[in-house]
Amino acid sequence: MFRTLLLSAAASATLAFAAQAQVVVSSKIDTEGGVLGNIILAVLDNAGIETENRVQLGATPVVRQALVAGEIDIYPEYTGNAAYFFNRPDEPVWKDAAAAYAEAKKLDGEQNKLVWLTPAPANNTWGVAVRRDVAEPAGVTTFSQFGQWVAGGGEVKLAASSEFVNSAPALPAFQTTYGFTLSQDQLIVLSGGDTAATIQAASNQTSGANAAMVYGTDGQIAVSNLVVLQDDKSVQPVYQPAPVIRAEVLADHPEIETLLKPVFESLTLETLQDLNGKVQVDGLPAADVAKEYLTANGLLK
Amino acid sequence: MNGGTRLLILPLALSPLLPFAVFRANRIAEAEPRSLVAALGGGGAALAVAGLAAMIGALVLARRAQVRTVVAAALVVAILLAMGWAAARLTAGGPPQVRVGPGAGFWVALVSAGLLVVDARARLHPRPAMRLAIVAVAVAIGAAILWSGALSQLSIMQEYGNRSASFWREGARHLWLAFGSFAAAMLAGVPLGIGLTRARRASAPVLGLLTMLQTIPSMALFGMLIAPLAWIAANVPAAHALGIRGIGAAPAFAALFLYSLLPIVANTVVGLTGVPRSVTEAADGMGLTRRQRLTSVDVPLALPVIVSAARIVLVQNIGMATVGALIGAGGFGTFVFQGIGQTATDLILLGALPTVALAFATSAVLDALIGMLPGTAR
Repeated sequence: MFRTLLLSAAASATLAFAAQAQVVVSSKIDTEGGVLGNIILAVLDNAGIETENRVQLGATPVVRQALVAGEIDIYPEYTGNAAYFFNRPDEPVWKDAAAAYAEAKKLDGEQNKLVWLTPAPANNTWGVAVRRDVAEPAGVTTFSQFGQWVAGGGEVKLAASSEFVNSAPALPAFQTTYGFTLSQDQLIVLSGGDTAATIQAASNQTSGANAAMVYGTDGQIAVSNLVVLQDDKSVQPVYQPAPVIRAEVLADHPEIETLLKPVFESLTLETLQDLNGKVQVDGLPAADVAKEYLTANGLLK
Repeated sequence: MNGGTRLLILPLALSPLLPFAVFRANRIAEAEPRSLVAALGGGGAALAVAGLAAMIGALVLARRAQVRTVVAAALVVAILLAMGWAAARLTAGGPPQVRVGPGAGFWVALVSAGLLVVDARARLHPRPAMRLAIVAVAVAIGAAILWSGALSQLSIMQEYGNRSASFWREGARHLWLAFGSFAAAMLAGVPLGIGLTRARRASAPVLGLLTMLQTIPSMALFGMLIAPLAWIAANVPAAHALGIRGIGAAPAFAALFLYSLLPIVANTVVGLTGVPRSVTEAADGMGLTRRQRLTSVDVPLALPVIVSAARIVLVQNIGMATVGALIGAGGFGTFVFQGIGQTATDLILLGALPTVALAFATSAVLDALIGMLPGTAR
């Protein structure tokens, strides 16, 4: 038994040395992590860069810690999360897309020698989506319009978690900023409910629900015929996904920046909803969804 | 018919009244129940109910436990095949997103029939070799059903179909984590246990420390090991070369190893101190050296207790290795946590069911092996 242990140790030792030249691509364990991680992986592979696949590695703290410790080289992170990495969650800078990205890039560059590459123009933040058959006739696409519509007697019934309804930065902040108030009759509170449950409620019109608490790029939104309201007065921090890479690795492979730029610029909110939906709703493997998207859009050469 | 059988016949007989299958428009849509008639068609449902009645009759009338075991096992297989058939019927012609899974009626029938197998088998009082053979036959039948493709339209098998390559890779990682950490813990724990019986004063503090390790929640222990291991990997080149990292398999392996130590060390101590004084005195009287007494008297007599610990540790490791997926260790937990992230129950089950099956089979095999050891009264 000892001999096999030694042999496997020797084998992993050679693996470890061989691995040093490779770019270790990683991502979070959630659905979007699978999609974005596999997109980065496919683009680097296609460009002939040697990679190691550690996609869907674990929860945010694990991936972040692994990147800072140099155990992985690149993974997609949300700009708004930098607020928590640097323990400054209450500052207004995170609510402006460009400023949040610049701040995250500056802080991580100075303190951790990490580089934030071009972000996707999608905001995966906490918000509200309304059924398309309700939003379109009412002409509602932004929260400002939604606020006017509700205040003017628009019939809405929102399915949300109790945290969304009660915590000050969530629904109460939306109500104050956009000048509307939802009564108890206009709320369906799913205690401990996640967005899967709220979207399902709005989609099936359970108890008359026609709006749902969502994260902007949830994979169920498109298939459930919901429209995400634009947070036009920036109540919530902006969560734009961007690849974060170790400066050392970027210096070795400077082409990564230009390779990923057009790819991430193509990932709009609706595109990400669609890709996430293919994984979450249709059950397709994230790697296939990523490759298909890149090929169909001519992003692989 | 005995009490156990009687108790299980009732839910079995009533199970056709419950929805046999559930239908989803896509894998995360709300489940709609489908009755036996809807799932199998009128003729199919009549056939299924008639078959069920015949088998219940056989179970009630059969006197011999062998017959009851075989009939109940056949019933389990029939229920599984009926589910596969229902899935094929309900998905036929629909879009590829449609998912069909087991409903309440299926579960009630399957669990009742499964317990009937267990109950009848227990009355056979099989010898250890026979028990091993039963496990082997059960595994073979299960594998044959899965390989035949009879269940391929079932929701969980569709999840498998989309991930067949990574399924076996994660399975291999899972086995390596569970069995590898177990082997390492045996190599360290048994000598440590032997040492503690000789240095009794160290026994209480060492066992106390191991007990304390055991009480740390697994998620916390997995997480706690990331920082020190990452530091070691960054600062000790030899450790880095050995594959030690803050994330991935190393911290999971280390955590499982630490959890395994207490049962192994404690049972080694208990087993060795349980060797009757008269036996050890006789061995000393025969002029055996301490080393000879240990290898040819003490350890063989303590072996059943030590192997019981091995069984506990292996089953525990197989279950706990799932949590390793959260720190990048891979294993079946990968599917569990991805499934939770996607709110896809079938994907969760794709990780959970093999883990449970693996733990069951391992436990049954080791149980039989313990029975085969000399000196156990079974």
